[in-house]
Amino acid sequence: MRVPDEIAGEAAPEDGSGENLDRIIRRLIDGQLYGVLCTQGQGQPYGSLVAYAMTPDLESAVFATQKATRKYRLLSECAHVALLVDNRSALPDQLMDVEAVTATGRAFEVAAGPEFEQWSRLLTDRHPYLDTFVRSVSCALFRIDIARFFHVTRFQEVRQWVPTGPA
Amino acid sequence: MGSHRSCIVLLAEAAGAGGGLVGGKAARLGSLIQAGFRVPRGFCITTRAYEHFIAEAGLRARIAMELGRKPLDAMRWEELWDAALRIRTAFLRAGIPDAIAGQIRRALADHIGDGAVAVRSSAPGEDSRQLSFAGLHESIVGVKGDRAVLDAVRAVWASLWSDAALLYRRELSLDPHRSRMAILVQAVELAECSGVAFNRDPRSPDADRVVIEAVPGPCALLVDGSVDPDRWTLERTSGALIEWRPGRRESDDGTPLLGAQDLAHLLDVLSRIETLFAWPPDVEWTGRSPDTVVLQARPITTSRPAADDERGWYLTLRPNLRRLSALADRVKGELIPALESEGARLASHDLAAYADAELAAALLERAESLRRWKDIYWDEFIPLAHGVRQLGRYYADAVRPDDPYEFVGLLKSADMLASRRNQAMAALAERLRGNAPLIQAVSDARAALADADPTMWRETLEPLRELPGGPGFLDAFDALAARFMDVMYGTERLLDRPDLLLHTLLELAEVAPRDARPAALNQDEARSELEERLFDAIGPARRDEAAEVLRIGRVSWRLRDDDNLLLSRVESQLTRAVAMALDRLRAAGRLRQEPRRTDDMVPALVKALTDPGAVLDLPVASPEDARVEILSQDTPRQLVGQPASPGLASGRVCRITAGADIGRFRAGNVLVCDAIQPMMTHLVPLAAAVVERRGGMLIHGAIIAREMGIPCVNGIARAVDQLRDGDVITVDGHLGIVTVGPPEFDLELA
Repeated sequence: MRVPDEIAGEAAPEDGSGENLDRIIRRLIDGQLYGVLCTQGQGQPYGSLVAYAMTPDLESAVFATQKATRKYRLLSECAHVALLVDNRSALPDQLMDVEAVTATGRAFEVAAGPEFEQWSRLLTDRHPYLDTFVRSVSCALFRIDIARFFHVTRFQEVRQWVPTGPA
Repeated sequence: MGSHRSCIVLLAEAAGAGGGLVGGKAARLGSLIQAGFRVPRGFCITTRAYEHFIAEAGLRARIAMELGRKPLDAMRWEELWDAALRIRTAFLRAGIPDAIAGQIRRALADHIGDGAVAVRSSAPGEDSRQLSFAGLHESIVGVKGDRAVLDAVRAVWASLWSDAALLYRRELSLDPHRSRMAILVQAVELAECSGVAFNRDPRSPDADRVVIEAVPGPCALLVDGSVDPDRWTLERTSGALIEWRPGRRESDDGTPLLGAQDLAHLLDVLSRIETLFAWPPDVEWTGRSPDTVVLQARPITTSRPAADDERGWYLTLRPNLRRLSALADRVKGELIPALESEGARLASHDLAAYADAELAAALLERAESLRRWKDIYWDEFIPLAHGVRQLGRYYADAVRPDDPYEFVGLLKSADMLASRRNQAMAALAERLRGNAPLIQAVSDARAALADADPTMWRETLEPLRELPGGPGFLDAFDALAARFMDVMYGTERLLDRPDLLLHTLLELAEVAPRDARPAALNQDEARSELEERLFDAIGPARRDEAAEVLRIGRVSWRLRDDDNLLLSRVESQLTRAVAMALDRLRAAGRLRQEPRRTDDMVPALVKALTDPGAVLDLPVASPEDARVEILSQDTPRQLVGQPASPGLASGRVCRITAGADIGRFRAGNVLVCDAIQPMMTHLVPLAAAVVERRGGMLIHGAIIAREMGIPCVNGIARAVDQLRDGDVITVDGHLGIVTVGPPEFDLELA
């Protein structure tokens, strides 16, 4: 027997949709073609807008960059990257409804060969206009192995999701 | 809107302006004026003014943030009330743009004059044929002077986001980005009687019946339930009287307030309004025939809420000042003393000396006593809890502080039972502090007691008496246990678990003593300052009213804590009798398996005690559910709740979900629980911070944490599930955020 909780008994639903976080992330990723790639080097962070694609299991992302760029040089020096994707443009004055996800991990250049075909197809299926760009000799294709995602909504509610499960 | 555009529409012209601009209530009154009905003169402040006001004051984003803090469905009514208070305070603190304020002043001067006015809500879409939202938004009657009218306008605008409106947000389609509110300002008509009239009986709309109610004086007295009305039921088609029921009012000679001519006139008004709008109306009116004035007309709605719709009940938990005054007197003067003596009486009975039949009778008596007191708890103690909320709103309305919860400083917890218990515990911990041999002996006794027969605890502790300081400690411990610990926490009777109490005392003895005196002095000074702020803001004319609101708030605050402990003491007496009955049945070999303790086991125990041949049929206890450690790919990093007590602190999580968990709680832990109950507030001084599932700025945990200066975040829906014992978390009581995990961590490793 329990002393009645004042005005209680009315167990509130646990949280909003009850939808799994991976599905929420998937939906956000599917809705956005571009993200901000964050790199670092020479004691300085750097951000670049990139067109990306992601594997269905959310374990990897792929993007392409011209080699004569600051981001290519920084990626050559340090593989640690973050990729930020958000939907703020669809909700300009609704801060509490904006969602953002930051994926952290390491970026590796994909060498020519079967692997290149597989990853470039993932990217160009989503961004067909990049086909020529991706196949140019002056362009490099990068795969990000994602360690985890941080999902932010309601301004400051943050959850973490690990694609490969907890350590 | 451009400031050059008018935001005023005369009531006589409101029908043509459209409900989107002037709201449904004003548009209907405009139609009534056009049709020749008498309606108090006045004007509308259009929805454009609301939009301009909230845009200028930046309130739209503020509302969106307040309501987006967490899913509205996951907010308890108390949290909605908190959100509504914060929104209301923000509205009251915001300035009305000069262009709008100027137009309102001119309209008052040109169309109403110096008399008192009523400032009423008129939201687009309210009171449709399907739905009536009477009372969800605010109307303020008897407002005098430009400044008071502008204040009332702000308050009525804010009521678009009242707790009641938020409860019915779906039906109202409330949306921070789209919802608007128009306002109706009308002269107050003073008449000797007023009332409501329904052109169908709302209880049986198909019957040929009209219902008319009347009270002496203004209609507001009927609407807010202050005065019991005379009530007539008439045949609609013939006007013949079916029933008259006089209102129960003091100093009333029982003469009907309305005569035959008045009733006939009201029937005619109802009939003409039904013809005009093509729906049966519910009308608020004032004045006698032939000068009856229509104050409001809306469709009668007969739809009943679903059986599990508790929202109507929440709205009853807001009694007005007069009712709260009477309730406070009754609870303080009669009920609490009676509950206290009931607990003491039952505790004094020596159940061990009872024969089985006497024990059976004691079980029945205790179960009945608990049932009765629980009913009183729900019917009278819980409504009294509104006294604190009333004080909060009264203070925020008058003072308009930066912090809508500044008024909490007016409350004083020192007189509460729980505070007295916590002081006694601090004093007992002081006896241990620095006395190493006694600490060691108490620690050993605690370990021994954890596995011992709870009824033998005095024997286990007795050797302490041989140590320096031991006799004093034991006597004080005995007194503390008997006075304060004969209560339940969950299914555990704390008096049966002295090891838990000893554990907490040992932890308290380890931490630096809190010197309460300077803090108390500061609190007394701060309290006096806040009182003065309130009285200054209210002014001498309403000082008595403010003093009464303050008195009720304080009584409510103290009793809502004490009542839990006192009720728990009665429950503890039932638990004691149940345990005694089970012991006897076990000893007699009639209890093969340990039964599950439930509310309804008393009849079976009574039968078994009084009939040795009876089969004991009790549900069997299942092994306690093992705690499932959540291993998920999805883990929280930042959880958002309400900033219930300011401060920033980190510590390891200790979840308290059952009495036994009290024995694991260490100084410096973060206390994570469903809700802090008065039975466990003695843990709060040990806690680095508090996190609760239950939300509310005025719940026990929030207030006690604020008094002790301990950060508290509450209203985190899955706090107990999502946080794991031993997790390091940081509690930001300024912003209402709990960050999980140490501040620095490797981004690449899970």
